[in-house]
Amino acid sequence: MAETIQRPSGPAGSISEEKRQRLLELVRGRTAARPTDLAEDEVMVWPSLVVVEALSAVVFTFLLLATAILINAPLAEIANPTVTPNPSKAPWYFLNLQELLLHMHPSLAGVIVPTIALVAIGAIPFIDRSPLGVGILFTSDKGKKITIFSAIYTFVLVVALILFDEFVGVTATLQGTVPEVVYQYIIPVITMLALIALLGLLIQRIFQPTRREMVMAFFTGFVVAFFVLTVVGTAFRGTGMDLFWPWDVESAH
Amino acid sequence: MRREHTIADRVTSSALWRSIVRHGYPDTQRNQALVIASNVFLHLHPVKIKRYATKVTYTFCLGGLSFFMFLVLTLTGVLLMFYYVPSTDQAYTNMQEIEASVTFGMLMRNMHRYAAHGMVIAVFLHMCRVFYTGSYKPPREFNWIVGVILLVLTFLLSFTGYLLPWDQLAYWAITVGSEMAGAAPIVGEQAQFLMVGDYEIGQATLIRFYTLHVIFLPLAAALMMAVHFWRIRKDGGISGPL
Ligand code: HEM
Repeated sequence: MAETIQRPSGPAGSISEEKRQRLLELVRGRTAARPTDLAEDEVMVWPSLVVVEALSAVVFTFLLLATAILINAPLAEIANPTVTPNPSKAPWYFLNLQELLLHMHPSLAGVIVPTIALVAIGAIPFIDRSPLGVGILFTSDKGKKITIFSAIYTFVLVVALILFDEFVGVTATLQGTVPEVVYQYIIPVITMLALIALLGLLIQRIFQPTRREMVMAFFTGFVVAFFVLTVVGTAFRGTGMDLFWPWDVESAH
Repeated sequence: MRREHTIADRVTSSALWRSIVRHGYPDTQRNQALVIASNVFLHLHPVKIKRYATKVTYTFCLGGLSFFMFLVLTLTGVLLMFYYVPSTDQAYTNMQEIEASVTFGMLMRNMHRYAAHGMVIAVFLHMCRVFYTGSYKPPREFNWIVGVILLVLTFLLSFTGYLLPWDQLAYWAITVGSEMAGAAPIVGEQAQFLMVGDYEIGQATLIRFYTLHVIFLPLAAALMMAVHFWRIRKDGGISGPL
């Protein structure tokens, strides 16, 4: 091994003595064994990190065990293609999409919106590239305020839209009077885009944010919308996918 | 050479022990470094890290928790596989047997299910933690994308598992899901057929979901996790304040 190191491609002696020493050390496999010099702000992974990991593994093993002992997973009757339960629901983490489905064309709700959301999330690091605020939760005080503002904005509007569609009803009102494409595509798309744009505009006006803070506003909007749609789809939709109080959903099932 | 007093001393100085463990008791910095560096699993970690990176309130342990859930799912999943046959004639009965007559069968099934929910939640929250601490910024852009792929894989793992009990919940949830895929523009019909393997959900669907659930998706996820963890190291460890 040491010989390969001694045969550099460049002219002999082009490796400085110090570098040669380090390479040799690497070859002898001693680097890791060398007593490490700990800087002020550093700790040894064993024990400092490994302890936290082991402890949380124990805690969560017990939590899982306890839940599994106390509550049994559901098993309904055997699958029967001829008996459609009312309502039929997807697994809970897709109920956000199923909730969207009630308000727009299935291709929008089930495919286009989630695809765009995923691509947008994937693109975040290429939109906001400044190193500003790395490692600081919410970046700054302003960032925290923007996050809260966006969360409230999204929460109120998504809830309001769901209630509006339930009790006034875009489709119910327009069905038969205008072509389907209007209430299945055009109105939902315009509504979504307009509310996103309005959020951006408000944040811009009120906070004069950096790009990082602007991205935070939109990401928060996504998370809160996802959350509200999931909760409404899971706990508030009963028979016929109508709105119920959560305690009535079970019995409606 | 130190005199051996206790049984522990004898064990740890035996040839067998020393052929496996190549370091002494980790009470010196040298040995603590060796524990990490000479163990294939632990050496995912660096030998030393920044102090803030061990603070629970920075990562909230969420990435580690996602991985933990994955490990629990692998273990309990293998145990369930001993009893489960992916056939529309047998699957449901198998589930009943697992619950009623297999020792700890119900416990395994429950743990598998709750760990699956837990993993979806943990991965999503982990994404939020990474986002709100700005940890996606260069040089970690690519690891963020690896993460997004892991998020999708996690959803798919959970979704394909949902059909396997072959009860009404499973059947109709997958019906709703596959109809959503069917609504995709242009390729919708093909996408739905690819997923269901037939014109309606049946044996063809079950075997597809089963194969994806127990082989393809776990392997894909494990592969992406390997990349994910390796990249964390290559990107200079956990992000932190500049
Ligand atoms: C199965 C899913 C996943 C597993 C097992 C996983 C695991 C981990 C672990 C153990 C860490 C170390 C720090 C920590 O615990 O927070 C980490 C960091 C990271 N993860 Fe994940 N992760 C997953 C999904 C994701 C997702 C969905 C994203 C984002 C979309 C993501 C993006 C990142 C990034 C950028 C880092 C580096 C963070 C930093 O340097 O502070 N990961 N991941």
